[in-house]
Amino acid sequence: MPQLIPSPWLAYLLFSWVVFSVVVLPKVSTHVFPEAPAPQTKQAPQTEPWNWLWH
Amino acid sequence: MTLSLFNQFLSPSLMWTPLAAIALALPWALFPRQTARWVNNRLLSLQSWFLGQFTQQIFLPINNPGHKWALLLASLMLFLITLNTTGLLPYTFTPTTQLSMNMGFAIPLWLATVILGLWTQPTQALGHLLPEGTPTPLIPVLIIIETISLFIRPIALGVRLTANLTAGHLLIQLISSATSVLLSILPAVATFTITLLFLLTLLEVAVAMIQAYVFVLLLSLYLQENV
Repeated sequence: MPQLIPSPWLAYLLFSWVVFSVVVLPKVSTHVFPEAPAPQTKQAPQTEPWNWLWH
Repeated sequence: MTLSLFNQFLSPSLMWTPLAAIALALPWALFPRQTARWVNNRLLSLQSWFLGQFTQQIFLPINNPGHKWALLLASLMLFLITLNTTGLLPYTFTPTTQLSMNMGFAIPLWLATVILGLWTQPTQALGHLLPEGTPTPLIPVLIIIETISLFIRPIALGVRLTANLTAGHLLIQLISSATSVLLSILPAVATFTITLLFLLTLLEVAVAMIQAYVFVLLLSLYLQENV
């Protein structure tokens, strides 16, 4: 059975771990999940009025 | 050279380059890295959604210290499901049919959960060897049985994935070679075998995804016991 041939055994094992840790783990760790929208508060936020600067 | 059915699992090489290395390294081009944009493209959004949903689903029953394993298990799931499904394409090599790779993932990760359990909470970890409420005369026998089942776990984990995928690929090869032979002799039977092949391919797609999920789910269960 080819799966029991000893020659590429260690190569497969090591290479799959190398690919897993060097490629897949960083790719997954860079995924950012956006926050769920917060429920609306009853108070309107306090803003200071400003004048538009007309050039 | 006699062609046996297992030849598809030999390490393929083209002009002295091992193609198994390409089969392991290339599928990750399908997964773009996160961009700095606020709204991503559809592919990236789909993948993020899948990863988030999967991680939430797997880690629901696990307590907070176990959540450190989220990155490892989510990326392991992505790894296995990609390798399994891309291996169903014609002429591709499936690395997860190799016992070396699957045992290489199963044994260290299982051992990590066991060592974690024995280090942080040795009493509870050893207590798992005796189910609650066993009659007193059965205690020694049951401890032996539970220890054996504990040590069988990594072997079962690796061999389950290997055997499922190998058997699926072998069946596809068998039925497709039967179809190609029958096409010239008995075309009516060939239509039946083509239908069978189509249904089998659908089954294999499902099996590929389910086996990856089962691998990671079982690891999360072993983690749940020990963390």
